[in-house]
Amino acid sequence: MLKNKILNTAEEFKKKSIASLGKEHQKEFREIYEDRFKLVKELFEENRILASPEANEYLQSILKIIVSSNKELKDLPIRLIFSKDCWPNAYSIGEGTLVVNAGLFIYLKNEAELVFVICHELSHLYLDHGNNAIRKNIDLITSQEFQNKLKRISKQEYGAGAELDKLFKNFAFGIRRHSRENEAEADRQALNFMKNTGFDCKDSITCLRLLDTIDEARLFDTISLPSTFTFPGFQFNMKWLNKESSIFGAMTEDDSPLTKNEIDSLKTHPDCKKRIKLLEPELDLSHNGNSFLVDSTRFEIYKTKFPVEMAEQLFFEKNYSRYLYYSLLLSHSAPYRPYALLSIAKVMNALFISQRDHTFGLVTDKETRGYPDEYNMVLRFIDRLRLEELAKINYYFCQQISEEMNGYSGFESEKLEATKNWNLYNH
Amino acid sequence: MRQLLLGFLFFFTLSFSLFSQGIKIDNIRKAALRTSDAIKEGSDVKGYYFFYVNDKVDKNTNEYTLQIFDNNLKILKDIKFQESKDVTILESSFNGADLIFLFYNSKERTFDYQIYGADGKKKAFSYSRELTKKEKNYLAASYLSINDDEQTYKGLYPIEGKGFISNMPSREDNDYTFQIDYFASASKKQWTYTPTSSAKKFAGDYLGCYNNIIYLEVLKFSSLLDGKPDSYLVGLDLETGRQLFEKQTDSKNRFYPANMSNLNGNAYIFGEYFEEGANIFKDKSRGFAFWNVDASGKINSEKYCSWESDLGKYLNVSSNGKIDDFGFMYLHNMLQASDGSIYAIGEGYKKVASALGIASTVLSGEGRGGLSTLKLKVTDMILLKFDANFNVAGATIYEKNDNSIELQSGMEFVSTPLLGKMIKFTFGEFDYSYTQTNKDNSEFTVCYSDYMRSKDYKGGVFNSISYHAGKITTDQIKTSSAASKSWVLPGKQGQVLVLDYFKKEKRLDGHFEKLN
Repeated sequence: MLKNKILNTAEEFKKKSIASLGKEHQKEFREIYEDRFKLVKELFEENRILASPEANEYLQSILKIIVSSNKELKDLPIRLIFSKDCWPNAYSIGEGTLVVNAGLFIYLKNEAELVFVICHELSHLYLDHGNNAIRKNIDLITSQEFQNKLKRISKQEYGAGAELDKLFKNFAFGIRRHSRENEAEADRQALNFMKNTGFDCKDSITCLRLLDTIDEARLFDTISLPSTFTFPGFQFNMKWLNKESSIFGAMTEDDSPLTKNEIDSLKTHPDCKKRIKLLEPELDLSHNGNSFLVDSTRFEIYKTKFPVEMAEQLFFEKNYSRYLYYSLLLSHSAPYRPYALLSIAKVMNALFISQRDHTFGLVTDKETRGYPDEYNMVLRFIDRLRLEELAKINYYFCQQISEEMNGYSGFESEKLEATKNWNLYNH
Repeated sequence: MRQLLLGFLFFFTLSFSLFSQGIKIDNIRKAALRTSDAIKEGSDVKGYYFFYVNDKVDKNTNEYTLQIFDNNLKILKDIKFQESKDVTILESSFNGADLIFLFYNSKERTFDYQIYGADGKKKAFSYSRELTKKEKNYLAASYLSINDDEQTYKGLYPIEGKGFISNMPSREDNDYTFQIDYFASASKKQWTYTPTSSAKKFAGDYLGCYNNIIYLEVLKFSSLLDGKPDSYLVGLDLETGRQLFEKQTDSKNRFYPANMSNLNGNAYIFGEYFEEGANIFKDKSRGFAFWNVDASGKINSEKYCSWESDLGKYLNVSSNGKIDDFGFMYLHNMLQASDGSIYAIGEGYKKVASALGIASTVLSGEGRGGLSTLKLKVTDMILLKFDANFNVAGATIYEKNDNSIELQSGMEFVSTPLLGKMIKFTFGEFDYSYTQTNKDNSEFTVCYSDYMRSKDYKGGVFNSISYHAGKITTDQIKTSSAASKSWVLPGKQGQVLVLDYFKKEKRLDGHFEKLN
């Protein structure tokens, strides 16, 4: 239902946009409009849209408050949706589709923060940042000057690579600079929209502060692999967690071939501290709005429900390592525990099959400096396990939680599979 | 899953959070993958490098990119530099502290050893030397003539935390010798060793380093066609390169060391042994020998295991060393597991009649066919097990498809053992790829390739024989996929890196897979 509604409207919008194109650069615009629609389509094809009618209705109620208190938004083709993506992100595709990821929602403190996020994305749409950027970039790329440069470089026998680098670097810097300017403008406009809604505008600042530290933000207790995977008769091997020596242990990000200015110039967003600094003077500190206007209970319910939706999406996408990580995190929290225990058993069985069939590398991430330490530890752990060890651990794990999970739907079949896998070795 | 080379991301979504702050620009415009390999510390894979031409600067100079990845395939370093267009990377090695790359300039005939430290920065010094004509000839006849994935030129060995040993054979017509170089990696320090005593021909093999002593196996040939070279164990001082001892390895038998292992504070060397007076290029070996040697070259203990009486208990070995159906054995590697057991990895080969050679001879008249009436067949893999006292404790043959190698007319008279060396070094036709052990030798994996034709699958396969917790297991990865080309590089212990190149999309994907 939601899918048809969003997709049909998005497709209709795309068709209208293409039909209204002039002759100039028609091909380029059409390609981008098609690509943009493809993005929306993929959200559904990849099962990333949160389909719950209640959650969707809740989101629309919030949108309704914003639109009804800001008349200028009334005629915009707005399609606001929740995605199950776990990245703390929200974005505007540029043709009316606005997406709030579950991975961002679960960290928000109240509806006012959510309103600021939505207002920010609405501002991009209202200020037509997406289409302006497309127009600007098409004009630049198709300009005689740019094309002449490209032609000249393609004919050049020597130094063509360096010239192309320079050309594209300047182009990228241009895009990113405009993008950063757009972000600051969207923040300002978002605050203007928010001021009319009755929500507390001071939460725009707490929201930006949250974004600033979201990488370190914690919703769940720390994972302890040794205590999760030590059972009577089975000792966790600490060697599985030992860090390896790296070739270039001392290497830092300063070794990037780009200069610091270049790195800064390639960022699409000004950093949050700068955004706060720009926004604070616009705030009326004496103005007291509400943290909630729609339904604080439902807000909290979705905050509780979304982690499960995010985890299920990871399993659907066959990102088994991250699914295991999320399940381990959730297993420490009472409301999630039975679900999380089943998920651990399920993903350990799935990892067994992947490892046996040599597709393990396609369903797991590898340790990376940017990941949280805990996730890297989980990655190291599964990376070190031999097939037999994987089977053994899951067998013992299922045995251990058997009583606790008695009668929980789906557990018996996972336990059976874990036993079958372990029996291959346990002669 | 890991995409190494991405197209320029051209995208206009407007995002709220911090997550789209990063951008990655990878230059794939002319990214032809010229050279890539694993960076190893011993047999332990620590990372990978990809070396390719980035740009043409002028008619003599290219801009190169050397990308260094860690063993999870995360990029660590992207180094761009300008060099002569005649430069290639021959090899790399890692000694636990520093990384060395061997650059070869084919026009200038120079080797340049460049060293990178633990901070990823290039050291201020490098080692350069001009190759002699002999060395260049050797390279032309070996590495540069064989374009295989295994890259036959392997001559850089890490000395943990200290530097690297280079073993460079050289050859001019029938004049063979070799040169050992030591390159310190913390500061500039180098020594060179070349055999000086009288012999018409030398062949040298680096066996290992223990207690600051470099152990070499040196063969001295009294004439160019000498089939009974004298074998010597040579010890060099790691700090100075000074020769500490030279010990002939003829003792109870004619012993030719092939490898070395450090066990319980002792250096053990091992390899095949022959009867006294045997011609090592023609005659069969009698079995395997194991010597415990001290820092002065003195033999503390020696043990000999014969094919006939010791190995015969486990396999059907005929008296001339030929194992039924398996043929002769070419020994690829020997290693000692942490429980003291010693494993030898070999591959079978034999001479068989060549229908093509016979037809060619008949059609063109005797002796003018160009092809020999015999051809070589590479057969199965073998794993031999010895106990800690060097008694044969087991042998298993792992079946695989045969490879056939047609021989040139006249080669039917070459001895079968010598043909084994030719399969390895001249034809590059053995299926064996590499052996990996972990630091404490509690695990090892032997890898070899094969081809599979079945109802469900037709294509390349990559096989492994793994030792873990005292058990041997085997596994097989199918390497044929939708990619235009796929190949396998060693990964961390027990893993391989499968690289898939998609020509149309100009994309290279890599994913690690575990060997079970």
